[in-house]
Amino acid sequence: MSIPNETLKAMIRDYNGIELSDEELKLVRPELESYFAELKKLEDLDLSDVFSGRLMHIPE
Amino acid sequence: MSNSDLLRMTIAELAPKIQNKEVSPVELTEAALAEADRLQPTLNSFITILHERAMDQARESEVAISRGEYRGPLHGIPIGLKDNLATAGITTTVGSKVLADHVPEGDAEVVVRCRDAGAIFIGKENLEEFAAGATSNNPHYGAVHNPWGLAHIPGGSSGGGGANVAASVTFASLGTDLGGSVRLPGTFCGVVGLKQSYGRVSQRGLMVTSFNGDHIGPMTRSVADSALVLQILAGNDPLDPSTVPVPVPDYTAYLGKSLKGLKMGIPSNHYFDMLDSEVESAVRGSIAAMAELGVEPREVSLPMMEYIGAMRISAMADGVVTHEPFLKSHREDYGPDVFYRTIPGQFVLGKDYSKSLRVQRLIQEEYAQVMQQVDFLVTPTAPVPAPRIDAQYIKINGEDHRVRGPGSGLISRNTSPFNAVGLPAITVPCGVTHAGLPVGVQFITGPFEEGLLFQVADGYEKVSPSQGLRPAVGVGA
Repeated sequence: MSIPNETLKAMIRDYNGIELSDEELKLVRPELESYFAELKKLEDLDLSDVFSGRLMHIPE
Repeated sequence: MSNSDLLRMTIAELAPKIQNKEVSPVELTEAALAEADRLQPTLNSFITILHERAMDQARESEVAISRGEYRGPLHGIPIGLKDNLATAGITTTVGSKVLADHVPEGDAEVVVRCRDAGAIFIGKENLEEFAAGATSNNPHYGAVHNPWGLAHIPGGSSGGGGANVAASVTFASLGTDLGGSVRLPGTFCGVVGLKQSYGRVSQRGLMVTSFNGDHIGPMTRSVADSALVLQILAGNDPLDPSTVPVPVPDYTAYLGKSLKGLKMGIPSNHYFDMLDSEVESAVRGSIAAMAELGVEPREVSLPMMEYIGAMRISAMADGVVTHEPFLKSHREDYGPDVFYRTIPGQFVLGKDYSKSLRVQRLIQEEYAQVMQQVDFLVTPTAPVPAPRIDAQYIKINGEDHRVRGPGSGLISRNTSPFNAVGLPAITVPCGVTHAGLPVGVQFITGPFEEGLLFQVADGYEKVSPSQGLRPAVGVGA
């Protein structure tokens, strides 16, 4: 997935009020690309029937 | 006995001498502070050295012990605190410029417990900016240097603590571990680093942390010292809902017990896939040594590790929420690595965050099944020895991997899974490379089995080739 620079800039500006240059976007992209890469790996994994691992505490 | 000899001792060796009044906490603290001052220009391991407060604590300890009010093995022992642990009335920067003048009103729970046990705090230790990275190359307070090789990182994010324990400036340092930040300084600095079970130690007072998987743990010069410190830290905190009211056993009772007949799981995937050859050789040597001790090796498979990278998704979202109060108002105060790594978290969709948590659950289930087959797991702690401070990339299997900042993560690939599953893990030194840099082996047990973890680590430590090795820079060197 590739998001155009102008779209990325607008989203970052609207959400955080931060203006980034094209050069700065190059520094943001590696982490974003890793997000997309990890999502791609999950495509074939059925996660619909997984239940919570939240701990419930029993008072001593 | 010289000050150098005293400072090089372990807590287990020193504590009886303090209890018997052979060693004065005041003289010991003076010696530790002198070494902290002497080595600070070389290691840059502190952000704040607490000269006056430490001496006040030392004098109080000496008076109490002289009255027969000895509080236990940490009484009168100089230790360090990572500068993301809240300390009342003492600047706590979290390694950031954003919080450079922040003075908490209260202490972190672990600080309270250590103070009550009589430990003496000699300083707040340098770390990665916001504890968000594995190098301790801090853009605001300078890089921490590794006592085994000053051009190399000490690991992070608790690098100041790792350097101080290795150089014999502190007898123990408390760090925090969200993806390996205690165990990586442990392995790179040749000391013992512990991340206990999630819920075993209160996180209250750990600042600017993650929602999912942070731990406060000790770095020490021996496994026995790790057990002594965890004994103080462990236990339910009614004000921290992440702690679990599981009884705390006597950890020292596990030290020295035979390992014969224990089953050791060796993962057949992930943990040995991307390794520096000298690291692999040292860890394979550890496995062979464990077999010599009567441990039964068994190969185990963890296929869900294919998806461990999904944990980054929830971490990204958590990161941007954690930094939300500061990102806009303090943009200019951020270093580039943390800033540009945090911003992308805003793009994580809610459904993807949910997927990440569900993957976490599946991985937890898989480890739970594996831990039914074996008593403990063994892995390399880090895939490489300490990289150079100026390295941007490290090459493994012919591929370049970023050392820090956006897109990095190779260094913590063997430690971060245990933050996701919450199992206790400890790194123990297992040799040095030809360049003289330490290598660590990581042991993992089932949840709340820290006693067994200490038994395994202590048994290995006694036969480790790292026994007796010291860094080039340190007390007396």
